[in-house]
Amino acid sequence: MSFFSYKTQFDADSGGHFGPYGGRYAPEMLIPALEELEREYLKIKTDPAFEWEFLYYLKTYVGRPSPLYFAENLTTTLGGAKIYMKNEGLNHTGAHKINHCLGQALLAKRMKKKRLIAETGAGQHGVAAATVAARFGFECTVYMGEEDMKRQRPNVFWMQRLGATVVPVRTGSRTLKDAVNAALKDWISNVEDSHYLLGSTLGPHPFPSLNRDFQQIIGYEVKEQMQELEGRQPDMLIACVSGGSNALGLFYRFLEDESVRMIGVEAGGEGVGKKGRHASRFAGGTLGVVQGYKTIFLQDTEGNIAQTHSISAGLDYPGIGPQFAYLKDMGRVEFSSATDKEALNAFNLTVKLEGILPALESSHAVAEVIKQAPKLSKDKIIVVNISGRADKDIFIVAEALGDMEWDQFIKEQSK
Amino acid sequence: MKKIKLMTHVVVGYPNIASTIQIVKAMEEAGVDYVELQIPFSDPIADGPTIMKACDMALQNGVTVRDCLKVMKTLSAQVSIPLFFMGYYNSVFHYGVEKFCKAAKAAGAYGLIIPDIPPDEEEYEHFIKACMTHHLHQIRVVTPASSDERLKLNAQVADEFVYCVSHYGVTGSSASGRVGFRSYLKRINKYFKIPIAVGFGISSRKDVHMVEKYADIVVVGSAVLEIINTYARFDVAIKKINTLIKTLTNKEQIIF
Repeated sequence: MSFFSYKTQFDADSGGHFGPYGGRYAPEMLIPALEELEREYLKIKTDPAFEWEFLYYLKTYVGRPSPLYFAENLTTTLGGAKIYMKNEGLNHTGAHKINHCLGQALLAKRMKKKRLIAETGAGQHGVAAATVAARFGFECTVYMGEEDMKRQRPNVFWMQRLGATVVPVRTGSRTLKDAVNAALKDWISNVEDSHYLLGSTLGPHPFPSLNRDFQQIIGYEVKEQMQELEGRQPDMLIACVSGGSNALGLFYRFLEDESVRMIGVEAGGEGVGKKGRHASRFAGGTLGVVQGYKTIFLQDTEGNIAQTHSISAGLDYPGIGPQFAYLKDMGRVEFSSATDKEALNAFNLTVKLEGILPALESSHAVAEVIKQAPKLSKDKIIVVNISGRADKDIFIVAEALGDMEWDQFIKEQSK
Repeated sequence: MKKIKLMTHVVVGYPNIASTIQIVKAMEEAGVDYVELQIPFSDPIADGPTIMKACDMALQNGVTVRDCLKVMKTLSAQVSIPLFFMGYYNSVFHYGVEKFCKAAKAAGAYGLIIPDIPPDEEEYEHFIKACMTHHLHQIRVVTPASSDERLKLNAQVADEFVYCVSHYGVTGSSASGRVGFRSYLKRINKYFKIPIAVGFGISSRKDVHMVEKYADIVVVGSAVLEIINTYARFDVAIKKINTLIKTLTNKEQIIF
């Protein structure tokens, strides 16, 4: 069976609806472009040449397969289930985002687009987009909230070195959702020659399905690696969820396997009881239609998008990918949240015990592992997705940990 | 030669609710034929920076959908031209589609212009149905990128007039490089048997002149807001708006 022909009972209908979620609530200006993208997407799904090309670059350029690593020390310390880490942080550009960027760049090439537009929160998607733009000869413009540019300065630097124009977004909360608005507007204005390389499993159809199909490589590999390492499949999968690209990437190939529990971890910020200070859509979010699709959004009584907060710039998006909203309704995926503090603790523990630096986003998933593993017997297996590495988080982590030497270094550098 | 009609635009609660009411009244006096009252929304994806900023400001002023309905009620009692609500679907959806349409009609709205609710989602949303039930005209928005199939689909459900975006871009963006404008409007004419409104980036008499041969209505949005932004004194702004509107519709003042 070909790679892209894989299907589940939880997939969208032909209009992109996952039950009551998803769809294509786009202004007419965008619909022709979305239709063009959908046509091309349906074509490549059955095109062996595209599959070959995608898998070829994943192997030779991205460096896949990424390792599935037995976290022995963390397992011993927590004293319960065996913990495996799927280390997407070892991909080229340091996160899972390169998977769908590569796929979309190859698609854009087929559509003869000259330019890629991207939004970015943590900068991981932006760096991956700028990278494929450089590799495949596209012009590239990345929209990034001004607040996120401050938080993720190293990624801004690398995007610019890669030849992308990074445009600061100074509207609204100056974070990811505002960058999505700005990118959509750019696309409306330049729809003929530009492709919008949307960075998660969200937005109008076909983006949620398209990005999932490119990200399913994560779970596809885990299945093979698990069989090789343990001779069986895992009992539990854990991943952090904002839009959902890394989590759906890990979960998708296991959705039909009822024996596998799956937990998506949202950003609990300063606590889900604090309105506006977290990004947990399943703690206070309501059904809405924003940015071209229907899902659960954190919004006020008027349907305006609410402020969110997370220590990680990649997890503060106010809406959840529509397929995840559906999977929750269906009882197939459970959701929890981790606070900023829990994520930092999980980060420290992973660094010290395993010598692995998980991105702050991925640290939220590890925080859930810390809660789950001790409750499970030693013959159970958890796979956690380390969706990215923490190099980009150096400033946030240093500040959060109150590292005086680093602080001193920065002050000296700026003289 | 027929006289082209003019539709203008305000964001409810920008700069404040009392001013919105005064501006709309002044628009009617200056000879405007329709006014869009925009419901402020946090993420207006089809709008450029001018309207976006006005939305942000109105939201900071605490303007709610209920306030917009109240403003509609006040204005519809005081002006005789048709007033539309323009806004984004989430505002309507969150209020309740059926409930909103009922309330909008009761407040005296003539119709709704909601750009992000395509006919394709009707089976899930019943938006067009609710508009019909409550006798609200729902205006379809089409663009130069719209394929013949999209035009056909929109024409099937279009009502009152069709709102044609003049070029690729968001509201307020420059209308330069209108390549194929004539063939675009020819395509519109083929599928729509109702009046044609042209908007986006129209701010001068010259812009109006360019479209009046093909269109029945021109829409001027951001240009009016720019005036409000430019003049600190509200009475001066009102005068400038009056002058702009008269210039736009007065054939004597064509300046090239």
